[in-house]
Amino acid sequence: MKRAPGWLARSLPWLLLLSLALFPLLAPSLDLDYYVGFIRHLLIVMMAATSLNFILGYGGMVALGHSGFVGVGAYTVVALVDGGVTSAWGAWLAAVAVAGAFAAVIGAVSLRTRGVYFLMITLAFSQMLHHLAVSLSAYGGDDGYSLHAPLLLGVGLDDAHPHVLYWVVLALAALLFTFSCRLAVSRFGYALRGIRDNETRMAALGYPIYRIKLAAFIGAGAVAGLAGALLASHNKFVSPSVMHWTESATLLVMVVIGGLGRRWGGPAGVALWLTLAEVLKLYTEYWRWPMGLLLVLIVFLAPKGVVSLFEGPRRAG
Amino acid sequence: MSLFSADGLFKHFGGLVAVDRVSFAVEPGEIHALIGPNGAGKTTLINLISGLLPLDAGRLVLDGADLTGLPPYQRVRRGLSRCFQVTSVFGADSVFDNLMLAVQARAGSSFRCLRRRAAEGSLRESALALAQKFGLDAALDRAAAILPHGDQRKLDVALALATRPKLLLLDEPLAGMGPEDSAQMVALLHRLRTETAILLVEHDMDAVFQLADRISVLDYGRVLASGDVASIRDHPEVQAVYLGTEASG
Repeated sequence: MKRAPGWLARSLPWLLLLSLALFPLLAPSLDLDYYVGFIRHLLIVMMAATSLNFILGYGGMVALGHSGFVGVGAYTVVALVDGGVTSAWGAWLAAVAVAGAFAAVIGAVSLRTRGVYFLMITLAFSQMLHHLAVSLSAYGGDDGYSLHAPLLLGVGLDDAHPHVLYWVVLALAALLFTFSCRLAVSRFGYALRGIRDNETRMAALGYPIYRIKLAAFIGAGAVAGLAGALLASHNKFVSPSVMHWTESATLLVMVVIGGLGRRWGGPAGVALWLTLAEVLKLYTEYWRWPMGLLLVLIVFLAPKGVVSLFEGPRRAG
Repeated sequence: MSLFSADGLFKHFGGLVAVDRVSFAVEPGEIHALIGPNGAGKTTLINLISGLLPLDAGRLVLDGADLTGLPPYQRVRRGLSRCFQVTSVFGADSVFDNLMLAVQARAGSSFRCLRRRAAEGSLRESALALAQKFGLDAALDRAAAILPHGDQRKLDVALALATRPKLLLLDEPLAGMGPEDSAQMVALLHRLRTETAILLVEHDMDAVFQLADRISVLDYGRVLASGDVASIRDHPEVQAVYLGTEASG
């Protein structure tokens, strides 16, 4: 049995990154211009999914309110733009901080419960955030808010340029993904999985369970906030529907079909889901029907997520 | 001064008094055995001491530090560790990863998130030393769940010892073991007494009489008798409620 992956498996992520980076340059000649925006959206959702996979797959916290933090990030950008802020980095950073702060408060309360109660309470919090957004008439309420002025990225660039935003998103997504891989094999990652697998034993070993879970929850919320901020720049529009609970559920399903607790689970699930939806929409307006059937098929064929199909046999015990 | 003292521990579940004003002490370097019939409150007592259950009343002091009211992880930091009656290991992980997780708990912060744990040489060394001490070094790469029962029990004790306790709580370490594994475990516990005091809950009387310096007998949540091995063996009331045929046979 091989311990280290072969050169192909090792270089695959780099090839993927390279081709993604070159894609906007090649797209016009291939008549695929539209898909630059599609992939940009995909990369943003991947960040949110990866952060959810971290607390759900590695931490065993079944949260059904993750899109709430995406919304907090998006509305932070709205509030700042409305207040006259023009720096993209400033707005995005603020979104991370505010979403992290919301996650700290929501996590501090929710993490006192477990299992289905945790799920319900995170759902309740995200519904509260959704209703709060609906009631914010200054930011358009139910109708949402359009971001007209571009946010400045420095050196004369701004987020209105589709390719520039694409590359910024790609760089952030790659950075975040690399960090999440490292996190998984760090002390913190092992501790989090230990708590998922056997919380009582972890407590008896001297681990501060609550603090470790809360730290993971805050980190995941902050990253979801970044995804929300980028989504605001991507769409130039934010409405309360980004934080509707069905968005949280979709995110959860994406992670599950991708591969719970597997490093490529988030990206694979998002890519699969959004691509399927995109393809089916070409053929029919009623794309949810075949989508549902395909999902059932996927779950039966790969109950541990599509990523598990590409894993070699596990190292023999 | 005693290393550990429990004073007036009390716990009830609804109308049932599970632990009724239990007091005892453990001296440094001592193996203190806790025996009693099923349902006497032994495991409840272990859970109260380790903090997995909250006390209704009473006080716990370990090496001068008051443990009463501290959460479990802070009790571990002050030198208390335990293992479980039903083996509690990380079944899907390898023996090595189990030991790494236990060693990591003791060695600095678990909030480190940028450094690969595999690159931390001192953790590896501690984990390997622990495996050697418990005779698990041949099974390092095997998943804990597929180890033979005796090895799983050893791993359970190894995890508890990794936190370098002053007092180790062992809840029936010999449960379900064959004679050979039992003998190995008894020998192992003998060796451990140089490192830590032990509070031993055990039903195997041969092992208890071999290992214990002192014995406390628990019945209906109360301490019925406490003393050295000879005095407990000959205690008429203890023989009546517990030892019965086992002691005379």
